[in-house]
Amino acid sequence: MSNNKNSTLSVSQSLLSILARNWALLFVLVLILIFSFTGINFFSSKNFQNILHLSTIYLLLASSETFVIITGGIDLSVGFVMGLSSVLSATIMRELHAANFTPALSISIGSIVGLIVCIIPGLINGVLVTKYRVPPFISTLGMGGIASGITLVMCEGFPVTFLPPYLTAIGNGYLIYILPGKAISFFNRPEGIVGEELRKLIRIIPNSLMFNFVILFILWHILKNTKFGQHTYAIGGSMDAAVRAGINTNKHLIIIYVLSSFLAGLAGVFNVFQTGIGNFTPFTAMYELIAIAAVVIGGASLMGGKGRIFGSVIGVILLRTIENGLHLSGVDPFFRFIAVGLILIVAVVIDQLFPDLF
Amino acid sequence: MGNITTRKNGLQKFFLQLGYRWAIIFLFLEIILFSIISPGFFSFNGIQVILINSPFILLLSLAETFVIITGGIDLSVGFVMGFTSVVSAKLIAAFVGLGMNDLLSIIVGIVITLVIGIIPGFVNGILIARLKVPPFIATFSMIGITHGISELLIKGTYAKGLPALAGRIGNGSLINIVPGKTVSFFISPTIQRGDQLIEILPTVFVIPFIFILIFAFILKSTKFGQHTYAIGGNVDAAIRAGIDVKTHIIKIYMLSSFFATVAGIMYVFRYVTGKADAGAMFLLEGIIAVIIGGASLYGGIGSVWKTLIGCFIILVMENGLRMLGVPTFYKLIVVGIILIFAVLIDQLSPELIHKEE
Repeated sequence: MSNNKNSTLSVSQSLLSILARNWALLFVLVLILIFSFTGINFFSSKNFQNILHLSTIYLLLASSETFVIITGGIDLSVGFVMGLSSVLSATIMRELHAANFTPALSISIGSIVGLIVCIIPGLINGVLVTKYRVPPFISTLGMGGIASGITLVMCEGFPVTFLPPYLTAIGNGYLIYILPGKAISFFNRPEGIVGEELRKLIRIIPNSLMFNFVILFILWHILKNTKFGQHTYAIGGSMDAAVRAGINTNKHLIIIYVLSSFLAGLAGVFNVFQTGIGNFTPFTAMYELIAIAAVVIGGASLMGGKGRIFGSVIGVILLRTIENGLHLSGVDPFFRFIAVGLILIVAVVIDQLFPDLF
Repeated sequence: MGNITTRKNGLQKFFLQLGYRWAIIFLFLEIILFSIISPGFFSFNGIQVILINSPFILLLSLAETFVIITGGIDLSVGFVMGFTSVVSAKLIAAFVGLGMNDLLSIIVGIVITLVIGIIPGFVNGILIARLKVPPFIATFSMIGITHGISELLIKGTYAKGLPALAGRIGNGSLINIVPGKTVSFFISPTIQRGDQLIEILPTVFVIPFIFILIFAFILKSTKFGQHTYAIGGNVDAAIRAGIDVKTHIIKIYMLSSFFATVAGIMYVFRYVTGKADAGAMFLLEGIIAVIIGGASLYGGIGSVWKTLIGCFIILVMENGLRMLGVPTFYKLIVVGIILIFAVLIDQLSPELIHKEE
């Protein structure tokens, strides 16, 4: 393309560029508009908080995939590592609780051990991928199988129950509770509310939202403003160039896979707080594939070098909004599988049609 | 490289052979181990139990073999299998409901299903070859679409109303002998109480095995197979050699869907029902079998026979552990470890060659 042609087209092209770059965000807005008319109680702060609250584990898994996919890899183990951390931390919490530890102590020890153990699969993935040149697809697939097997051996195929109290109060709690004209309280429901008053209680900002915001802000900052983030993009753009630029790519990739596993572990621990039980990941759950779909919708390329945390967040919210909106509109839930498939194809075709815009 | 290979001494040659042929050696060791520690494993019936559980992983890994040799991947085969199991079960039940003969309705249902089952592969192929969508994404999208459609068809439950004949095919064998009374082929005979039934080779194994024989020949000895390897080895070179790469890739994904469809039909015969997530478990096992068989995800390497060895490593492991009374969860761990070691051995084998310099 010649230079003068480029300048005449620049206005319309830059407009098109902005549209194509943010199509997922626009699509979310369009969906919200449509569902506001079709869905019962869709357009309410309660429902939006609900969507964000239920997106938490997907946001964590998608942000872990974002890092891995930017380096040109893929992590198929995150869903099963999440199940492992969920079951492991819940089992420890149950045992400590049964041994008469205080709830606070047993919950915190369980969470910390769950998080630390979940670094191991990532470390093994990283070493296999870098030192032994095993393709990420295979090493993480194998690790997913191993993690899934260990999880099922540990919980014998049943969810882990009889956990200490207060778990769901933390995981499903809100920052502010307001009973109009009467009471306001933080983190806990105002005392002595029953019956009809409980319905009128206004809940603002779920704890999970603040948790998400902190984690995602840190990850966004790392990826955007630090040397670590720049190196991540450099490795994904061109491995050879990154090596020649003096980046210790092996060490960097190991850190990336450990980070990915750690975030999956975090999702698992959060899952315990949210549901109050330890959930294993069934072999057919496909959490990792949904997370990868969200990352790709957010504009990342499986070839590496491209991707943003913000994009992945939009991708997750897009998928969750479709699910929630279709549900509230009374559409058969199975249509959402079809919708996810079609949107994913649209995402990649847009990416292919405007390759130079991103 | 020529003079390096001539300078190999005996021991290194041995290790190289061990590296290249580890899969078949491992399979034999596995069979010997289980034969020793679990009585009844290495018996006529013990082997037939393995074969009767084999059709889904065999067919899905056959599908993946072709796709992976071209350097792609097909994540949709599992749910295409579920989709076609639902479609064929629905069709057969509908034809029977219309008053058609059982056998005729099964045949007509299968033929229509085979045509419908190729559509997801065709769409995958168009997306991948024409619109340049990465295979991972295109076939993943197809998971959502086929899963959604099949759940809608059966409204979240499972398909029913199939004739008993379907089950008799699924539980029949190539040769069924009731001593002194009847001999039948493929379809299991009706037997009275007290009759002894001798079954040789389950039908659900024989049909996939015929496909394996045909397509092993096609991959190895025909132009179609050569072009498949050529595309996987180097797309640019394949284009310059005058191969119509786009059409070929579309054909490969259609073939992949075709095998998934056959697997779906086998599922209907075996379990006399159709389920949307019938093949969800077998997708990853199929891919794992191909990789254990020594194929490379970068394309250009792999063969049907090696995939077959990979399949039987998993099947023998599964059955052996089950006969020992070990929970099936351990299978996942063992298969994961085998998968990683398979690739490690393949990665280390070239290094063995270099070390000889």
